[in-house]
Amino acid sequence: MPFEIDYHALGPEIVLAVTLMAVITVDLLVPRSLKYLTAITAVVGTTAAFVPLITLALHDDPVRSMFDGSYVADEFALVMKALFLAAAYLVILMSFDYIDSERFYQGEYYFLLVASTLGAVVMTSARDLIILFIGLELVSGPLFLLAGWRKGSVKSNEASLKFFLLGVLSAAILLYGMSFLYGLTGSVTFEGIREAAISGDQGPAFTMAILFVMVGFAFKISAVPFHFWAPDTYEGAPTPVTAYLSVSSKAAGFVGLLLVTYLAFPDAANVWGPALWILAALTMTVGNLTALRQTNIVRLLAYSSVAQAGFMLIPFAIAGVSDTPDQLESAFGATVTYIVIYAFMNLGAFAVVIAVSRITRSGLIDSWSGLGARATGLAVLGSIFFLSLAGIPPLAGWFAKFVVFSAAISTLNVWTTSLAAIAAVNAVIAFYYYARVVKAMWFDPAPTTAEREALPIVPRTLQYALAITVAYVLAAGFFPQLSSFFGDASRMIAAGN
Amino acid sequence: MDWFDSGWGLSLIVFLPLVGALLVGLAPKANEDLVKQVALLTTVVVAVLSVVAAFQFDYASSAELQLGTDLSWIPSIGSNYHIGIDGISLPLLVLSAVVTVLAIIYSWNHWEEPKNPKAFLILILLLETGMNGTFVALDLVLFFIFFELVLLPMYFMIGIWGDKSPYTVKVGRFELETETRLYASIKFFLFTLFGSAFMLLSFLALSFEAGTFDILELIQLGSTGAFTGTFAQLVFAGMFLGFAVKVPMWPLHTWLPDAHTAAPTVGSVLLAAILLKLGSYGFIRIALPILPEQARAWAPVIAVLAAIGIIYGSLACLAQTDMKRLIAFSSVGHMGFVMLGIASLTDVGINAAIIGMVAHGVITGMLFFLAGSMHHRYHTRDMARLGGNMKLMPKMGAILAFIAMASLGLPGLAGFWGEFWSLIGAYNPLNGLNVSLFRGTMVAGAIGTVLTAGYMLWMLQRVNLGEPNAEWEGHDLPDADRFELAAWAPLLVATVAIGVFPRIITEATNGAVVELVAKAFGS
Amino acid sequence: MNQMLFRFAEEAPEFSTGGAMQEWAWLILVAPFVAVAGIVFFGKRMKYQGAELAVGMMAFVFVYGLILWVQTMTDEVVYQKSIVIAEVSDTLVFEWGWVVDGLSSMMYFVVGTVGLMVFIYALGYMRGDIRYTWFFASLSMFAGAMLVLVAAPNLAQLIVGWELVGLASYLLISHYWEEKENSSAGMKAFFTNKVADVGLIIGAIALSGAVGSFRIDDILDAATHGDDVLNAPLFGSTVAIAGALLLFFGAMGKSAQFPLHIWLPDAMAGPTPVSALMHAATMVTAGIYLMARMFPLYQTMAQDARPWMIGIGAATLALTGLLALVQNDIKKVLAYSTVSQLGYMMTAVAAGGYTAGLFHLFTHAFFKALLFLGAGSVIHSVHSNNMSDMGGLRKSMPVTFWTFVVGSGALAAIFPLSGFFSKDEILATFGHEGYTLVLGIGIAGAFVTAFYMTRAVALTFFGTYKGEGHPHESERLMTVPLIVLAVLAAVAGFANWPGVFTGFTEWVGTVAFAPLGDYHPESLDLTLAAIGMGAALLGVAAGWLLYGKDRETQQARDGFWIPGLYDALKAKYWLDDVALGIVGVIKGPLARFVDWTNTNLIDAIVNAAGISTKWLGELVYGAFDQGGIDYAINASATGWGAAGGALRKLQTGRIQQYAGAFVVGAVVLVVGFVIYIN
Repeated sequence: MPFEIDYHALGPEIVLAVTLMAVITVDLLVPRSLKYLTAITAVVGTTAAFVPLITLALHDDPVRSMFDGSYVADEFALVMKALFLAAAYLVILMSFDYIDSERFYQGEYYFLLVASTLGAVVMTSARDLIILFIGLELVSGPLFLLAGWRKGSVKSNEASLKFFLLGVLSAAILLYGMSFLYGLTGSVTFEGIREAAISGDQGPAFTMAILFVMVGFAFKISAVPFHFWAPDTYEGAPTPVTAYLSVSSKAAGFVGLLLVTYLAFPDAANVWGPALWILAALTMTVGNLTALRQTNIVRLLAYSSVAQAGFMLIPFAIAGVSDTPDQLESAFGATVTYIVIYAFMNLGAFAVVIAVSRITRSGLIDSWSGLGARATGLAVLGSIFFLSLAGIPPLAGWFAKFVVFSAAISTLNVWTTSLAAIAAVNAVIAFYYYARVVKAMWFDPAPTTAEREALPIVPRTLQYALAITVAYVLAAGFFPQLSSFFGDASRMIAAGN
Repeated sequence: MDWFDSGWGLSLIVFLPLVGALLVGLAPKANEDLVKQVALLTTVVVAVLSVVAAFQFDYASSAELQLGTDLSWIPSIGSNYHIGIDGISLPLLVLSAVVTVLAIIYSWNHWEEPKNPKAFLILILLLETGMNGTFVALDLVLFFIFFELVLLPMYFMIGIWGDKSPYTVKVGRFELETETRLYASIKFFLFTLFGSAFMLLSFLALSFEAGTFDILELIQLGSTGAFTGTFAQLVFAGMFLGFAVKVPMWPLHTWLPDAHTAAPTVGSVLLAAILLKLGSYGFIRIALPILPEQARAWAPVIAVLAAIGIIYGSLACLAQTDMKRLIAFSSVGHMGFVMLGIASLTDVGINAAIIGMVAHGVITGMLFFLAGSMHHRYHTRDMARLGGNMKLMPKMGAILAFIAMASLGLPGLAGFWGEFWSLIGAYNPLNGLNVSLFRGTMVAGAIGTVLTAGYMLWMLQRVNLGEPNAEWEGHDLPDADRFELAAWAPLLVATVAIGVFPRIITEATNGAVVELVAKAFGS
Repeated sequence: MNQMLFRFAEEAPEFSTGGAMQEWAWLILVAPFVAVAGIVFFGKRMKYQGAELAVGMMAFVFVYGLILWVQTMTDEVVYQKSIVIAEVSDTLVFEWGWVVDGLSSMMYFVVGTVGLMVFIYALGYMRGDIRYTWFFASLSMFAGAMLVLVAAPNLAQLIVGWELVGLASYLLISHYWEEKENSSAGMKAFFTNKVADVGLIIGAIALSGAVGSFRIDDILDAATHGDDVLNAPLFGSTVAIAGALLLFFGAMGKSAQFPLHIWLPDAMAGPTPVSALMHAATMVTAGIYLMARMFPLYQTMAQDARPWMIGIGAATLALTGLLALVQNDIKKVLAYSTVSQLGYMMTAVAAGGYTAGLFHLFTHAFFKALLFLGAGSVIHSVHSNNMSDMGGLRKSMPVTFWTFVVGSGALAAIFPLSGFFSKDEILATFGHEGYTLVLGIGIAGAFVTAFYMTRAVALTFFGTYKGEGHPHESERLMTVPLIVLAVLAAVAGFANWPGVFTGFTEWVGTVAFAPLGDYHPESLDLTLAAIGMGAALLGVAAGWLLYGKDRETQQARDGFWIPGLYDALKAKYWLDDVALGIVGVIKGPLARFVDWTNTNLIDAIVNAAGISTKWLGELVYGAFDQGGIDYAINASATGWGAAGGALRKLQTGRIQQYAGAFVVGAVVLVVGFVIYIN
């Protein structure tokens, strides 16, 4: 009975959908003074969405498939759903005060945020091109608006417009590629495509289709040379939105990439492997080098997130040349693990940026000077997150680097080793610009004006966000199993089993 | 003491400092005494535990890894929390635990700008966890974590409490104005990170080949010649980068003088006494036994680099005007002897390396203490302005003279045996190594001892002897105070004890070393 | 730990005739160091600032040494015991130990006797010195180090003692370190010795490496049995020969053989008691002792090393003796005489005169100590080292005068003083071994020796007083040691009167490995004795002729004035200039160059790497990321131009560039791969 709907499996999606409605309704009903209730609704909603997720995870057979296997809730899906929900939850915590203070349209803001999350959640379960595309657009759509949320600022408008234009362009290319795939294989489900690919001939058209699809996702993960939108958009968008862009939206892109590469055409690894090898090398190198000369903290994080994407791409490149299914799986797991760790440390970093900008009222790195003396707590947190991003033990980041390195080394040939070497050098370069922020906080003297100004307290909700992220970054640093667990759980689906 | 022997003892030695750091962090910044007491108490307990470990240790079977445990840590990559000590790591573990205590005693009332004892002590404690951990780790991942863990605290120490004088980076016509501490700290970090990044790659490659991160299993495999060919070559190269930068071996040493000169006194002491040893320890514990074939292939290279380091370092010392920088450069020479011993791949040489590491830790640590205390009083390290120290501060002068003698390898003091034995090792290297080349390096080393004597005596003459410089008249120059003496006494005693009776080290090391060499090189 | 520290008890001695005294002989090695420690920590609080401790311990050493010496004489004792201090492989061990046999107990006796005398003398001489306490600590260390060296059953311990002697000499020579010259003199001594030590260390390692043990008896065992391991090639020769020569190089440093003697005259910067100890008992004898200890090696497998040693020794004998002729500083005269006497000893031992060499060491110890203490007593009262400030002191300082004369006579080898017998035995050895040239040099040396000693005596004690103040005889504490030493210097020779009584020969002959091929005449060779004696007397006569009565200038007083030679002697053969030149080059240009390479070569590369990365960042960001996309644009599909035009209303027109890059990227990727695939 193929078309029976498994409501338990759809639990998270349903809860989120309900939350959407709830947020709108609350926004309609309550007076301006109580608008913060919308935020609370959103928080409650995202939290509630965890419930069915957990029940599913604990269920003895977590793998549930619907619609001829076009929509599946398996370990991978659950892991990524959990990640997206957690990210949304944290971003809302971060937004709470920010949005409130800036007199924004709170209701719509949270509505869009939740909507985008819903899209991401849907993507994780998508096992055919159409659902994948719908999910992806549902992720992107709201973000086009959110990016321009600071209506007052020209930068923000520009940011959203750029984001929008390039977004639709990428969507077009993606869709183009997908239609090709359908035309060539006569199927939209990944399984179908895979089988067709195995039987059918892999001509240039097929290759082109694959590459078009990947270009579409490359835009979402802001891989070089499809990253140009990122810095401007990040800088222009409200910081919490930037955080969301750099984590959830990027992760969504990777979900799509993981699904199509490993599930739809694993046998075409000889095509996407090398392609992603180049993308990976290019992305991390360019990202790091450009980050070196940034003076604005958000732009720095933007380029850092580009570089990080490069690291996440390494396992794909290796999967291209790796032969045993086990290696495929470990590569897949590596990327997932990296994303999980990256999500927490990057969100933490942005949370600190938000908190600090309340003190310095500036996005310049120099304005962080002497923060260690002025706001020791924030400086410590900041150092932890930035050094974790740099991958310095014993902070969670080291394990992210560790897994991609090990994926890179898992098969030894000139391609893998050279990529590993490039990555190693990049890791060193990366430390330099992360350390620049740390240096500013601890080594540089505070600007004389800074001492006198009163320190605004960090809002409660932001404190929660910081607490959660830092707790994870430290714990996962000493017990990496906390991160690799997710990678392992999700690796099953790789290599088509 | 089953609880102790079953791994708890070592685990406490490693992680108590971390707990201490946490407690210090929680203590109110205002209550400086409490902060200091907590830190001191923690390190003292750790030191006591390390001594207990030395007594619990069974010297009869010092090749066995003892007092350890092996628990699952990161199942997903098959990495375990596997710790333990053998005769090779024991002396270094005790050294690191004790020196840390002395460092805290010393800093009790020597806070360099910008004071803030709380932060400083937290860093010292973090550092101790890293150092002790490295010496007990028996799992490559674990080793890597601890090996890297020491970087951050030292980076902050140099960067925050370091030398604030301006510094110009010159490359050709390009000039960059910065501060010594800033330049030194980032240079130290990037240098080491660069090395260890490749070291990590080697570890990973190794584990994929062998299917385990466990050092003991890897040694077992290595001794049966499991790793060969280009693969082994690359792996060893990576490890070499990681360890050689840390040692540091010529020509990868240039971070050292800057870091040492810029670091605050206690920072330099810990850097010299322990951190440099992590590299040479890595060679002995990991590189040699796991990749014996490659060790044979690389031994001549290492030996030659070591010999160059000895001569080069000593000559560079002769050109220094800054007392602290001179001591820093002397480390290059002394670690050269350590590496020469290791390169010989003989039990004599490796014993030499270990006792040399301990001796260098004690002696050079002491020298940096003195350099710090003298700078604290004179506010300059320029030897041209110093002089007649013997008259101005008799105690400190006498100690300086004594420890300088120890540092130039005077027989009867700790420094001698390491140099002497590594020369023996180099004279009769492992069968199959190019004897004449090694004898050449041995002669170079012997000449190095002369140069060492040269710059040490010269330093003494300029700093200690002669009539005091006129500019110090009327300056208040107190002689060594009781905190300093308390911190130094153990080091001075150790210098004599090891010199007169090196057996306190070799009794532990020899068994393990002989076993190691026999297993790896079948001699 | 616990099982390690006290594992010695059961370790048995390697050689054990003799009993408790030998078993406890290690006490004499420890005693001086107890004094050192005691003085350093409590000296200032003691009644006599620690001097009493030093003298006490030295007295103990003297008594114990005397007893051991006597025991060796009576029943032939050879005792040796070692304690393991380190095992560094499954075979190689390092040990502390002590040897009690004829050779070592002779040295104990000499160090004890001379040491005690010097210590007592120093009580008076150093009274009121700024570093009185410190001085006695260093002096005790000096003696202790020498004893450690002498007692060493293995080369490692010997090296330890050897270098500690060097350290002590450094401390004592630069005792008055306020003046740079003094500390420099100390450095010169330490440094010259350190250079020589390189030879000693490498030689020791070579021999022990071959034999597989640092035990001297093991090495000698291998040597005497012609063990093949010692024939292994090394440095273009065999281990035995190369090793032997390297050891000799070490000995050249301590025993001030030409050209490494340059440190000794400068060592006069130290207080006179130091010179006395250094020249008589502790330091310079070390090299001779080592050669004697290893004698069997040089007699068997290292035969070929001997010609070199004889050459160096003879050169030392001849050249340095001449230098004593032109010295104005009385201590320098004695210094150079020591060097040339050491030449005698070294040549003798090398030529196969084990007993002869040691005997001269024995007698020389007494009369040279005596001479230095006498000189010290003179200096003490005239407050100058220069003989040009002295003269006519025989009246005001009778004791000093007479004892000095005895010492000079002994040194000049005048019958029946001790020097005569020892020097005669050396000459006899030369003759018997057929080294005629060396014999000639030896005889000439005897003349020179007598000449410069007469000169010294004449300039100091005869003629009129030329200094300031009123010289007076020194106090008891100083004169008594003079007298004691004078007696010894007079009679010590009878310990080995060929044909009459040759006890000394048997005494120093009681060693584990008999000194094979050691020559000692059965009876006094009267012709040779007469020649030697004649040369000496000739020297005395010539000296008296030239220096008997006063001259105006020093130049004039050195009446033997010979053009070329005189300049060479005044310039000490220019050796110091050479040495200083070498050191200067190393310390100056070379060191600076190395340091330069460090900052401007190695480090420059490092910095360049860092900076160029930054520049690359600039470039990528500026040109690729922000700038140069325009090119891409122009290349990309024209359709985008329209879009671009539409979008230029924005603040920055970059959007279409991004889009362009986007498309270019996509196109390149796709086209590239489509080609790559097919």
